[in-house]
Amino acid sequence: MRRYFFEILALCLMGGSIVFFVECIHYLARREYVGAIIVMFIGLAVISVGREMARLALVQKD
Amino acid sequence: MDAVGPADPALGKWRTFADAVALALGANLWVALVLLPGLVSGALHSGPAQLTAILPLVVLGIGVWRRSDLVLLLGYPAALLVPVAFAPGMANVHVYGPIRFAIVAIGLVGYLLGASVFTSFREPPPPMAERPLSSAARPMAARWRRRFRIYAVLTALSAVFPLALLYTINFDNEVRELIKVKYAGRITPFTTVLNLGAVGFWVAIYAGFFLGVLRRHRTGDRDLVTSLERLKRETRRARPRPQFYLGVALALGLMLVLLLTRGG
Repeated sequence: MRRYFFEILALCLMGGSIVFFVECIHYLARREYVGAIIVMFIGLAVISVGREMARLALVQKD
Repeated sequence: MDAVGPADPALGKWRTFADAVALALGANLWVALVLLPGLVSGALHSGPAQLTAILPLVVLGIGVWRRSDLVLLLGYPAALLVPVAFAPGMANVHVYGPIRFAIVAIGLVGYLLGASVFTSFREPPPPMAERPLSSAARPMAARWRRRFRIYAVLTALSAVFPLALLYTINFDNEVRELIKVKYAGRITPFTTVLNLGAVGFWVAIYAGFFLGVLRRHRTGDRDLVTSLERLKRETRRARPRPQFYLGVALALGLMLVLLLTRGG
């Protein structure tokens, strides 16, 4: 059961990180560069957590 | 890619099918990306423009003829950019509405997936005798099903991420309005920089994050992993090789030269 949880969580986090990158584009269009950088790093942090979840899902024992 | 021997006519059947699929998908992409935008924007009226428009087809033909993964998956998509570079009007946002963008995106993803799948066919010669393995009768292990699920998700995200970012930059109404207001007079250069940045950013993310997950599983062979771990341990213990000292000396020497010449 736990491995499915990890898989779903990985998908949500990796897929959800795209929201931050899209928002980063919005900030850039508004010339709010500091905000864009912050949002970009949030997206990177989220996608890195998603990666870790995917890794945990892959190494789960049957 | 392995060539199919003329002595085995059965071997060529799947290869011919794969060639036909790659050719059809590639031609579809050429029509959507070069021919139609060129005709709509009127960029294909001059001789040189027509020559550059035909170049991708030549590359596609070479790729199919040589059955080369490199030409089909890298050379042909790169060649498609040549006519666009000669006539940037072909890539104008007005030529590419959201629907056309979606069609071209589906065509590109379909071509890349199709070419990578169909060109991966390796047909071994027919065996002299066959004996089913006992493991083949067992259902696929749960860990492999899990891996395939993860691979499928990563493949899907590989397509979704750049498409969503490019769509937002080029077709999101709020972003387009903001760029018009905040970057008046520099709309096209800024949009180009954003597009290139989005693609470069996505490549970096893919290499750093997505491939990071798969790295250990791409080399999942136990013996190979053990050998690599042993080599890594040995490398960690070993002293630097002469190339290291040579590189350091060269770098320091060149920096000194740079400082002296700039100072002088």
